[in-house]
Amino acid sequence: MAGYLLRRLLQVLVTLFLFVTLSFFLIQAQPGDYSSFYSLNPKLPPEVQSRVRAQFGLDRPLGEQYLLHLKNFATGNFGVSFSHYPQSVLEVILERLPRTAALFLTATVVSFYAGFFLGKMLAWRRGGWVEYSATISGVALFTVFTPWFALMMIWLFAFKLGWFPLGKFLDPLVWRNAPVSANQVFGYMLFTGAAIAVILFLAMLLLAQLGLRRRGWLPAAVAIICVASAVIAWAGSGVGYLALDILKHMVLPIATLTLISFAGTMLLTRNSMLETLREDYITAARAKGLPEKVVRDRHAARNALLPVVTSLVFSLAFAVDGGVITESVFSWPGMGLTLLDAVLSEDLPLAMGALVFVGLLALVAHAVADVLYVYLDPRIRYQ
Amino acid sequence: MRVIWLWLALVALALSITIGCNKSPVPSPTGITPPQTQAVAQGGSKVYKLGVFSDLTTTNLWTLYGSGPDNTVWNLYVLAGGHPSLYGYSDQRFDWIPSLAEGFPTPLKEETFQGRTVWTAEVTLKKGVQWSDGKDVTGDDFVFTAATVQDLQLTSNWVSIVDPEFFDHAEALGPHRLKVAFKKKPGLSIWQFGIAFMPIMSKAYWEPVVAEAKKQGDLPAIQKALFSHAPQNEPTAGGFAFKRREKGAFAEKVKNPGYYFAGSVVTEYENGAYVEAKPGVYSFSAYGEPSGAKALEYTTGPFVDGVIFSIYGNQESAVLALKKGEIDFLLNPNGVQRGLLEQLQGQPGIATIENAANSYRYLGFNFRRAPMDQKAFRQAVALLIDKEFITRTVLQGAAIPAYGYVPPGNVFWHQPKIPEPGKDLNRADRVAQAVQTLKAAGFTWETEPRMGRDGSFVEVRGKGLRMPNGELVPDMELLAPSAGYDPLRATFAIWIERWLSEVGIPVRANLTGFNVIVERINNPNGFDMWMLGWSLTNYPDYLEAFFHSRHAVADGLNRGGYANPEYDRLASQLLVETDMQQAKQIAGQLQLFLAEDLPYVVLYTSPVLEAYRSDRLKFPYTDTLDGIQDLSGMTTAVVVE
Repeated sequence: MAGYLLRRLLQVLVTLFLFVTLSFFLIQAQPGDYSSFYSLNPKLPPEVQSRVRAQFGLDRPLGEQYLLHLKNFATGNFGVSFSHYPQSVLEVILERLPRTAALFLTATVVSFYAGFFLGKMLAWRRGGWVEYSATISGVALFTVFTPWFALMMIWLFAFKLGWFPLGKFLDPLVWRNAPVSANQVFGYMLFTGAAIAVILFLAMLLLAQLGLRRRGWLPAAVAIICVASAVIAWAGSGVGYLALDILKHMVLPIATLTLISFAGTMLLTRNSMLETLREDYITAARAKGLPEKVVRDRHAARNALLPVVTSLVFSLAFAVDGGVITESVFSWPGMGLTLLDAVLSEDLPLAMGALVFVGLLALVAHAVADVLYVYLDPRIRYQ
Repeated sequence: MRVIWLWLALVALALSITIGCNKSPVPSPTGITPPQTQAVAQGGSKVYKLGVFSDLTTTNLWTLYGSGPDNTVWNLYVLAGGHPSLYGYSDQRFDWIPSLAEGFPTPLKEETFQGRTVWTAEVTLKKGVQWSDGKDVTGDDFVFTAATVQDLQLTSNWVSIVDPEFFDHAEALGPHRLKVAFKKKPGLSIWQFGIAFMPIMSKAYWEPVVAEAKKQGDLPAIQKALFSHAPQNEPTAGGFAFKRREKGAFAEKVKNPGYYFAGSVVTEYENGAYVEAKPGVYSFSAYGEPSGAKALEYTTGPFVDGVIFSIYGNQESAVLALKKGEIDFLLNPNGVQRGLLEQLQGQPGIATIENAANSYRYLGFNFRRAPMDQKAFRQAVALLIDKEFITRTVLQGAAIPAYGYVPPGNVFWHQPKIPEPGKDLNRADRVAQAVQTLKAAGFTWETEPRMGRDGSFVEVRGKGLRMPNGELVPDMELLAPSAGYDPLRATFAIWIERWLSEVGIPVRANLTGFNVIVERINNPNGFDMWMLGWSLTNYPDYLEAFFHSRHAVADGLNRGGYANPEYDRLASQLLVETDMQQAKQIAGQLQLFLAEDLPYVVLYTSPVLEAYRSDRLKFPYTDTLDGIQDLSGMTTAVVVE
């Protein structure tokens, strides 16, 4: 296993190098450079444009610029963003990452859970109207024109019914005198979510070791204690009302993202379940007289989980990349819009920084998925 | 059993959130609320809510004007009005009027300073104008600001404000008396419309910051240190103080209770006179005898306690927010899209506005290539382009046909006698006049174009067009933005290709990326015709920058290479002219030159369409060049119900 992991690490590094190189030359292949945007300002003479080029190193030969980017990448210093000068690339990414991660990670998890649950049900009750309607509506939503659908959701639930805010991630009137920044609150929220997940995972492992996992009330009690502790901690923090405001703003984009994307997981789970249901051990489980619910949830669904978890891990990696359409329609400026603006304006350091960041996460996710296979399916062993 | 636990968990969760979300008092950390704004009431305070479409990238005015990338209209919307300047523009008419200055400056005078000749002017400042930290705004603040720009060699927009080629030094002759010295005699664009418009920074606040930055070593490091500074509690002399920025969400300014101009009354008369007065404090009058009918009268505020700039990711959501009353007005340099504006028209509590933009889109010719170097050819092209047809029939009023090189909305500088070639001609007459113009210049056809009997279409297309020297007119390319970038210009390009081809002018519209066009036209010999646009300033010194032959170099703004010695002479004169009326006359002559020589065919300008909550807001006026967005939403004059 250790040898395999080392080989995987080497593959990751080589792939990352190729990715960085390709990204750099693809962005450079666009006509013009960052200073082009100043060439139409009559108040900026050509000398100023030349200074802008020199300031950002755009007057250097392409090879030199490439080597500089490789050096920056190797040292973890992505340089200064052109379009947010004099902010560093890392500062820009760290500013946008928490709000993107909070929205898209939550949406990804919710969407996968909804998709997995529905997929499981569809495979179990084949041929009924539930299967047909869920499949048709799922596929219809999966293929709907996203900007239109998102705007319709806003129009219906925020404008007409007034149930949710009209986009954005906070209400300025609530935040006018807030003692902390939204990014801090996002950070705390992410930390809370991660802490609950880790504690629950460890608790489940412990319960399994102690042989108490099958006692249904124990896992539920652990979950309640975790969540209640977190909520009490928020209650005492004095900024709970700010987190609630953010949560209120998250509902509509998460619902939209879930509706748009749950069908993928649903169909994947359904197909995987259908294959699993043909296995002998399912027949054996039924023959043992186990209740149908136990056969479905503990024998079939768990074995059908493998491709779904792999897909989830990859999706989580790309969740930090955000989504241009969602961010734009829901006025939730994050990594997606940052990357798009950086590429369009040829803000090379920022574009490279954002791409490398996402690329690195994607490669790590692939490696993590490989390791997860071993954990989830004891039959798999790497040499 | 598990279900019961889950229900219990949900109830506990809901209870805890409810308890946790009861807002508990938390002390405000230092640096968020400026001391001068703490008196502003939060509950029930009047807030002017504006929608914007991009985040602030800086709150530092040095950076806004100095770093280049931060010089965005979005930053300007928020930061505008916080720093005083000696002079400014009057409302609607754009007369040059005193702001911090008490009156007009003394005439320029030649004198000797430290053994060299300089040109100087003196200005008296208003007494009693204060920063929000209670200190007086003095000549020292002006001297400090100009000297910092000069010492740190700040570039970008600071160069056009404090032109190092002209500015020598500034000197405070007393707390409220100032002398500005120039290395050579400055024109209006350098003095009256240049450094006199410079935003003045508080010396007390910025001097230590600049001193600290200067310790950084070389110039780029010093500039970077200055630009990196995020101001905390920076004093303001404007109507509002910057309070808070929540990245990606909103920015907020709060009322400056000590705003000097609050309560002053501005009156503009139809005869051109301008009067501004605050009873018992100051009074100013200019541009004629204030008598007869009044064109405008309003009292300066602020009439609101705060201004919130909320960020929206797209116009559709912002328009819904406006309809719902979440915001009062949308700030956008491009205004509201016509389709969305139509949705807003007739909505209760919402009013819409349409103003001309201080900008135009044009078709440019490369004078280095034939036949673009021939006036008759350019005139024929101008005749063939039916701007009225495209703007009215094809674009359904999304654009306004334009002819002048200074937009008519810029009333003071626009030349009203500018010819309008082809305006209101029918297709047959356009073609006939274009053919006649080309023939008169010696162009010939193998097959001359001929109109159909009803005169609405070309029945026989022109073929084999030859230039006066007998050579065939080569195939030409018209570079224009693609529909994805600008559908209006793309539409114009397609129609121009069609009309020119009909009479035998072999042109192909190449709809391409903005960057591709910029790169191509930066190479003097790499293009034939191109279509781009300009956003313009009020003072038309761009007539020199766009068309003087000294700018006809690679990366220069005279991309077409237009060269006319008489035009050059007049344009150079405009730059050094010190008399407003003389400058106006020169600008008028320059516009007539351009209309004759046609280095550009000015095509159209886009109207700035705006909408606001008329049930909450009262603006003193809504007719203004570039719309209310150009005045950053008129925060110090708007009345919020």
